[in-house]
Amino acid sequence: MKITDLLKQDTMILELEAEKKPEIIDELADKLDEAGRLHDKEEFKKAILAREEQGTTGIGEGVAIPHAKTAAVKEPAIAFARKKDGADYESLDGQPTYLFFMIAASEGADQAHLETLSSLSTLLMDESFREKLLQANSREEIAKLIDEKESDNKEDQEEEEAQQASQQESNEGDFVVAVTACATGIAHTYMAADKLKETAKEMGVNIKVETNGSSGVKNKLTQDDIDRAKGVIVASDISVETNRFKGKHVIQTPVAKGIHEPKKLIEQAVNQDAPVFEGEDDSEGEGSSMGGGEKTGFYKHLMNGVSNMLPFVVGGGILIALSFLWGIESENQLAQWLSTIGGGKAFFLMVPVLAGFIAQSIAGRPGLAPGMVGGLIATTTATENASGGSGFLGGLIAGFLAGYVVLLIQQALKNLPDSIDGLKPVLFYPVFGLLITGLIMITINPVLVSVYTFIQDWLEGLGSAGIIVGLIIGGMMAVDMGGPVNKAAYTFGLATLDAGNYAPIAAAMAGGMVPPLGMALATSIFKNKFTNQEKETGKTAYAMGASFITEGAIPFAAADPGRVIPASVIGSAITGGLVYLFGLELLAPHGGIFVIGTVQSEMIAKPLAILFYALAVIVGAIITAIIAGFLKKPIENR
Amino acid sequence: MVEQTMKITSEDGVHARPATVLVQTAGAYKAEVSLEYNEKSVNLKSIMGIMSLGIPSGADVKLKAEGSDEEEALQAIVDTVKKENLGE
Repeated sequence: MKITDLLKQDTMILELEAEKKPEIIDELADKLDEAGRLHDKEEFKKAILAREEQGTTGIGEGVAIPHAKTAAVKEPAIAFARKKDGADYESLDGQPTYLFFMIAASEGADQAHLETLSSLSTLLMDESFREKLLQANSREEIAKLIDEKESDNKEDQEEEEAQQASQQESNEGDFVVAVTACATGIAHTYMAADKLKETAKEMGVNIKVETNGSSGVKNKLTQDDIDRAKGVIVASDISVETNRFKGKHVIQTPVAKGIHEPKKLIEQAVNQDAPVFEGEDDSEGEGSSMGGGEKTGFYKHLMNGVSNMLPFVVGGGILIALSFLWGIESENQLAQWLSTIGGGKAFFLMVPVLAGFIAQSIAGRPGLAPGMVGGLIATTTATENASGGSGFLGGLIAGFLAGYVVLLIQQALKNLPDSIDGLKPVLFYPVFGLLITGLIMITINPVLVSVYTFIQDWLEGLGSAGIIVGLIIGGMMAVDMGGPVNKAAYTFGLATLDAGNYAPIAAAMAGGMVPPLGMALATSIFKNKFTNQEKETGKTAYAMGASFITEGAIPFAAADPGRVIPASVIGSAITGGLVYLFGLELLAPHGGIFVIGTVQSEMIAKPLAILFYALAVIVGAIITAIIAGFLKKPIENR
Repeated sequence: MVEQTMKITSEDGVHARPATVLVQTAGAYKAEVSLEYNEKSVNLKSIMGIMSLGIPSGADVKLKAEGSDEEEALQAIVDTVKKENLGE
């Protein structure tokens, strides 16, 4: 609290009229009352006089500080008065008093009261400052003097503290950092932080604690803090940003342990009694080492979405591939279950999860729900014939939209009173976040989906114009991998299959197999351009590509659309063209290598047709792999 | 020189009135008496000095006395702190 916040010009008296102590007190209290700082002047005066009875507040050196803490005070304030010739205030040193500061503290302001006394005394210890106050000619001058003196002192003090802090740390050496977070981010986060700080102090350990509460990150750890720390304590019930702790000894524990066993945690951190943290995702490191502010943020948000979506893609994709072992659209009960679990459910959640975690990366926890629902709107509010909605491209839009919408809401609600601060994360963010994101997505999704119907009409208009149709169908399969463009090409294939034209579906399936196969191949060839996680994903992408599950390439495409999508489209288009070139036809609607036996051609013998079909896919995949490999930048090895 | 560390237990910390009492006590002796808190040392014979430290409840303070009657001065101050329920 600054003195000048309490001592305004309307509570200053340049020259007291009163001569004696009781009258001086009257005059000061009147001044406070006139300025509207008191509820009840008489009550306040009674409290001041009661305090004087315990011992005079004429503290010597020409200064008196009559003060009282009482409910009669409306708002905390200080009144200032001068008596140029000095007055008898029964001072402790028996000398006349020239400067009077009457402090009015409101009930319950214990610590603030003490701080006010402290900062006021600090100022008044300087004799030349007291002299200047006496000489000042106007209220403005007095206010200015106090303000200047206070900021001078503050700077000195901060310098001193900074020096002390650096000395302490270099002397004692044991420095640890901690992050606390809990599910609601209201109470436990801060309780754990306080407890850790308190305990560290008792143990003589230096600590810096970052709190990830519902009101955002406070006291954020800098890279320098982390570098200097002997150990890192992550006391959290939710996911916090941990990649920055790579290479450190990190103790991960529930937030409750931070409250109940702070000593044990700090000991562990100091003794480095924890495994060295390896990081969860190398690619995020790449993002930050590239250093570009916005690009890094964009990339980071994408990666957060993709890495959380991956289990759905891999698990679901493999289960679908397994179901094909019984043949496409098998009556086998187990095959149907596998297909339902993988395709019906896991893939169903894929885009919502992607969108949800992109939004969570942008806006923190409040972003998750609007993001997921926005993603779900993207994939499910379909217009006719577009069962896939706007697919994963629509999901990307939903994720970023939800994230920034919630950021805006947070900004807009920033100035709400503290008393309803706790309501924001549990009520305001979810309600407004869902409402706004949902309305926007519902409005724009039909536009995104109409891309689908438009393309389908256009394709049908093309008829069977030879190799160019093959190129287009193949390429479309790779544009959005399960989104409207892909589905348009595929359903066009299905429609013509029904009508007895087997060429489009052949191009569609071959083209759809290329992106996952191509990216998988790229991870095998260009090992230095993919993270370890991507290489693992690559292995499963082989299986998915072989089974014509184009979604297997989504993790790559979502993480780096600008490079992966062009590479995939070119490879797939060439494959589609080759399929048309050899006049290859496919008699099954889906299934990848499981249905390759149905490939035929009017131009060449069946075994050759099957071989050419496989070759077309392989050639496309190699082209995709090489283009992607050249476009992608090497990952810095760390 | 003699010294002693005490813990402030009074809920309000060291505010104006107890500071006054401490200064009055210290003033009765010839010895130089000082109080140290948070690595800052002030003359225990100056009220403003003590108040400027803003010593809160729970703080550890170090009392020092130096001079011909240092033993008595320190003892008197420690007694005052206890008597005023200021600390222990």
